[in-house]
Amino acid sequence: MSPEKSPTTETSLATEKELSDFLRGVERKAFKRSLYHVRDDEAALDIVQDSMMKLAEHYGDKPPEELPLLFQRILSNTTLDWFRRQKTRQALFSNASDFESADDDGDFDILETFSGPEGSTATESAEDHVRRRQVLIEIEKEVQALPARQREAFLLRYWDELDVAETAAAMGCSEGSVKTHCSRAVQALGKALQAKGIKP
Amino acid sequence: MTTISPNQTDCLQDRYGRRVAARLTDSTDTLPHDITERLRAARVRAVSHRKIARVQSAPAIQVSGGGATLGFDTEGLNLWSRLASALPIVALVIGLAGIAQYQGDDRAQELADVDAALLVDDLPPAAYTDAGFAQYLKIASLTPVTGSHQQP
Repeated sequence: MSPEKSPTTETSLATEKELSDFLRGVERKAFKRSLYHVRDDEAALDIVQDSMMKLAEHYGDKPPEELPLLFQRILSNTTLDWFRRQKTRQALFSNASDFESADDDGDFDILETFSGPEGSTATESAEDHVRRRQVLIEIEKEVQALPARQREAFLLRYWDELDVAETAAAMGCSEGSVKTHCSRAVQALGKALQAKGIKP
Repeated sequence: MTTISPNQTDCLQDRYGRRVAARLTDSTDTLPHDITERLRAARVRAVSHRKIARVQSAPAIQVSGGGATLGFDTEGLNLWSRLASALPIVALVIGLAGIAQYQGDDRAQELADVDAALLVDDLPPAAYTDAGFAQYLKIASLTPVTGSHQQP
């Protein structure tokens, strides 16, 4: 490869440093996301490592702005492949309850649950820190307890901050399905956390 | 119960979802050291396997040292381009072969002329194998020409 390339080629494609920086920025979150799905450290590490390798080998020459969505999609597919290999896909992904409507929310007050205060800026004491850790553990439990598709939609939409269209592309489904999954996930989390007296 | 529109519901749900997800971010700061090290190793390994772009770029002016040259990025040449680049060498080889052939023909023509001159001469070729005639030719070449010829 010629060391001297035209400027148009250099500005549009991800350099080695850009790829490395991108992976550094998403690797921890990707690990946790996989862990919420597979609930096994080794498996989650394998999934993240495979996803990184696939991104670098097949899409390492793509523009930097395309990398986030590509990586999310690869991570989702690699996670799905892991479930397929584990022969548990039937139990985890085709469970009818994943797609059932959460219509039995008659006593669920969305305003009461969702309109809590935004993040406090008060100085955190040791007690606050411990409480914060406990809240995190409870939230992680509830996220892991979500049906797989709802959990996937919730994490992509709110944690990875993709918009509805990007989430739909990453999950390979319609935007309507994403909205439905997200809505049900938030409802389920809201109810479960409210029952535990947790206001995130 | 307060009545709210579907849009407001979506908005509240989004806000709540983001608040819950923001809490999850705390979990990434407390990963065990061995996990973060393995993630780092995986990242380095992936980057080392990065796909290199193969781009057919236009002729670019490349500045090196004090001069600038107009060059092509040869990485993306296809089969026809490579064949075309070999054409000058093929032309050179054909030219050299032609010259060699022409010169060979010229030399053969000269030898043929000598043979023809000997054959059509009054002196039979067999005379050149005679020892006495050879001696005569030797003496004749050393003696200056006086105008009268002696016959052998």
